[in-house]
Amino acid sequence: MATQNAKSKKNRKIRDKLLLLIIPAVIVTIVVLVIIASLLSRARMQEMAQSTLESSITNQADNIDGWLTENLQNFSTIKQGIEGMQPDDETLVRYLTTYVGKNTNSPNGVYVASQSGQVVKGNGADIQISNPTEQQWFKEGMSRVNMAYGSPYKNEEGQYVISASGIINDGGDIIRVAAADVTLDQISIIVNSGVKMKNASSFLVDTDDNMILAHRDENLVSTTISDTSNDPIIKCAYNKIMASDYTTVNTSGYTIAFQEVAGTNWVLVSYIADSIILADITKLSLILMGVGVIAVILITIMISIIINRVVRPLASITQHISAMSNGDFTIEIARESNDEIGVMGEQVSKFVALMRKMLSSINDESEKLKQESNNSDRVSKNMFDASQSQENAMVNLKNTVDELALAVNEIAENATTLAMVVSDTRENSNQANESMKETVEISKQGRDDMEKLSIAMDGIKNSNDALVESINEVGKASEEITKIVGLIAEIADETNLLSLNASIEAARAGEAGKGFAVVASEIGKLAQNSAASAENIARLIDDVGKAIGSVVSQAEASAENIEANSTLIHTAVDTFDRIYQNIEKSNELLDLMIQDVQKVDEVSTNVAAISEEQAASADEILETSKHMVEQARSITTSSQDVADNSHELANTSQMLTGYVQQFKISKEEGIVNEG
Amino acid sequence: MKVSVKKNLVVLLLTVVMALGMILTGCGKSSGGATSGAGIKVFYTSPTDDDFKLLLKNALAENAQAAGVTFDIGEQCASVNEQVAQIQQAVSSGYDLIVCLPVDRSTALQLEVSAGDLPMIFVNSSPDATYLEKDKYMAVSSYENDAGAYQAEYVWNALGKPSSFNAVLLRGQLTHNAAIGRSVAVYKYFKDNGVDVNFVFDDTANWSEDEAKDMMAIVQKTGQSFDAVFCNNDSMAIGAADYMAAHGYDLKKIPVVGVDATVGGCQSIADGKMQFTVYQSASGQAQRAIECAINLVKNGTANGIEGLSDDGLYIWVPFEKVDASNVSNYMK
Repeated sequence: MATQNAKSKKNRKIRDKLLLLIIPAVIVTIVVLVIIASLLSRARMQEMAQSTLESSITNQADNIDGWLTENLQNFSTIKQGIEGMQPDDETLVRYLTTYVGKNTNSPNGVYVASQSGQVVKGNGADIQISNPTEQQWFKEGMSRVNMAYGSPYKNEEGQYVISASGIINDGGDIIRVAAADVTLDQISIIVNSGVKMKNASSFLVDTDDNMILAHRDENLVSTTISDTSNDPIIKCAYNKIMASDYTTVNTSGYTIAFQEVAGTNWVLVSYIADSIILADITKLSLILMGVGVIAVILITIMISIIINRVVRPLASITQHISAMSNGDFTIEIARESNDEIGVMGEQVSKFVALMRKMLSSINDESEKLKQESNNSDRVSKNMFDASQSQENAMVNLKNTVDELALAVNEIAENATTLAMVVSDTRENSNQANESMKETVEISKQGRDDMEKLSIAMDGIKNSNDALVESINEVGKASEEITKIVGLIAEIADETNLLSLNASIEAARAGEAGKGFAVVASEIGKLAQNSAASAENIARLIDDVGKAIGSVVSQAEASAENIEANSTLIHTAVDTFDRIYQNIEKSNELLDLMIQDVQKVDEVSTNVAAISEEQAASADEILETSKHMVEQARSITTSSQDVADNSHELANTSQMLTGYVQQFKISKEEGIVNEG
Repeated sequence: MKVSVKKNLVVLLLTVVMALGMILTGCGKSSGGATSGAGIKVFYTSPTDDDFKLLLKNALAENAQAAGVTFDIGEQCASVNEQVAQIQQAVSSGYDLIVCLPVDRSTALQLEVSAGDLPMIFVNSSPDATYLEKDKYMAVSSYENDAGAYQAEYVWNALGKPSSFNAVLLRGQLTHNAAIGRSVAVYKYFKDNGVDVNFVFDDTANWSEDEAKDMMAIVQKTGQSFDAVFCNNDSMAIGAADYMAAHGYDLKKIPVVGVDATVGGCQSIADGKMQFTVYQSASGQAQRAIECAINLVKNGTANGIEGLSDDGLYIWVPFEKVDASNVSNYMK
């Protein structure tokens, strides 16, 4: 469960990851852009506002200048008319009357005053002039020929006016001044309505006496500006005008621009509250933020779509790779795009094809290996069986050899017994010889003793019978030996045959059987030796047999002699001498017999020795065959190992085949088992 | 062809004149040539010559030659149209820069447009700052207001620093920046110093000697007394002084002051009529103009040139005060 959770945690979609990375970046970027744009546009808008204000004030100043100039030219034209006509007073009045009411800016038209105090004005002009030479306009007019505007003043009607005045240069002796008035109200209208910037305000100041000529606030018109004013704009304007510094300033939350009006000493002051500019900027910032939010949303949607399009092939590739990791190599990946992902799909496709090919060849190879290992297993099993049967045969051989050894030992024992018997026989023969001598003595002593002699003769006869019997028993024993020797020869033949078989099997076992082959041949040689020894024994026993035969015949002959002697004893007492002689002869014969018995003794001793030798050989054979059994056992163990190994090999190839078969490389194989 | 032959002749003539001038004055005050202008082609266009303009033109050619600048002078232009045509011709002739004394300073923008991408240096009569651009359209001139201030200073001192007096002011063309600047400066000087000056007459005489005489006649006719006569240039001052001399005014007591230190002006001072004038250094302006031209063409900037204003639009060449004590220095 835990691992599954971890797995599902790890497997986030690329799209989500990318979005998670890109969207914050986009948001940050756009926020930064909005901030930069806001700051830049703030600066720019402030600049723009300033330049708009400057442009507005310049334009306004030009308008005022234009308006003033237009009127001034109008007045100058009338004055030039007077200078050109040089009219008398009547004509002058008529001339001036024609201009009364013509110029709406100066409805009273032009009027003329001379240094002598004479005033000439057009009929209908609503103007009162007393003491003209004391008037400001007259004094100003006296200082110039070209008409120009002077300072504002309050006329007799109580209006603030500005007069344009100048000397009429007609060459006459009397100095006359022509003048015309415009009211400050009219200038105020131009100033107040001429502001080209929304929410901006203007006022006009005469720098000669710092009087406000025009202002939105009528109460301020014709007042003077000063450093002590409560209005920060007016205070600022005063300081700037005093310093003749007409650059735009930002102060007390206002942007204030200055412009000199050409041809006058007037300065136009225009100002706008920064809050108004900032309001626009705030609005713009809000719009920018809105646009930013929309942009983020649009970009998010666009990026989602783009990532989806780009990543789509990845989904199928991922699916295919998952199938592949589960061992399914039957998948086919179509190239869906021409980018790295497309290349990836293509490469995975190639890899899958390659894997499929490789797996199928591994599968084939492991099948083959499996078959081969099965074969090997079988062969090793066979070999095991063969070696086992060989082992059995060896055990049998060993048992047989055991028996052989026992038999041979028995022979030896028997042969020893035989030798002892023969020795006894000689002893007995010697005793008989003694007895014979005693008999001669006795025969010599008397006839009485002839009974005793007869009895002794009976004893001798019995002893002779027993001797014959014993000899016959020796013959029987010899026959037994002969039989045993024959058996040994047979066993040797059989062993020889077995060793031949073993050699053949060893040869078949190949390298593993080499040692065994040597042993087998050794066994063969021993068997042959055994056979040869048995033959020798047989031959010797034959000799023994012959010797016994002659002993028996001698013993029988002596028995006959004894019987004859007894008869002679029984019949003739006098014939003792002959008896004695016969006994002498018998004694000689007995000596001969003893000699023969000694010969038999020698032979039987020989037989015993040979039998012992044979027994030793048989022991040797037994050891060898024991060794052979061990060898056969180790061969069996080895072949068991071989069998185990080949079995293991078979299992391994089985396993390999199993593994390879876990991979699905052809569609027909059906469902793939997991894990 | 005709133009270029003429041009060549002018150049030749000027070269001879300058060479002579250099021999006679021992190179004078000219210190130009510190920067090599070899390979730079400059065209000069100007209106009809007067005393000062001729001085300026000669000084420009002199400085250009000393610096190795190729300096061609156009024919004197009678109108703005002619000047515009001349500038356009210069542009197509492959000049690097145009030095211009505008026929009408208010047409500066039109002149700049005609010059295309070429930088321009206005001399003597400088356009409004609006029409100038740092390191592109610059003006080499003297600060007009200084001239007025110098005049006011001299007069006030000459009168014994009175707290009030009457004065006559004869202006140049009313719209001319030099006329305005100089006049305003006179007013400002006295205002700043708390002197109550009653200008009994303040009108234009259009730079003209004769008109000045006429104006003085009217002033006399008005019967107003005056203690000093300020004139925006020497010509008007000469006229006023001559008139006053002819009509019984005591020129020792009533100072008549002018501007420009022209030949006539200096002569008038030497003659004891005018009392004071201000020398607008034609040679100084010419020297700075050529120096500025070389820098603009070679380095694209006028930084480092003496007299460069803070906004980088103007190169101010200081005025020099001329009165009876030193007038001989300005007379050649």
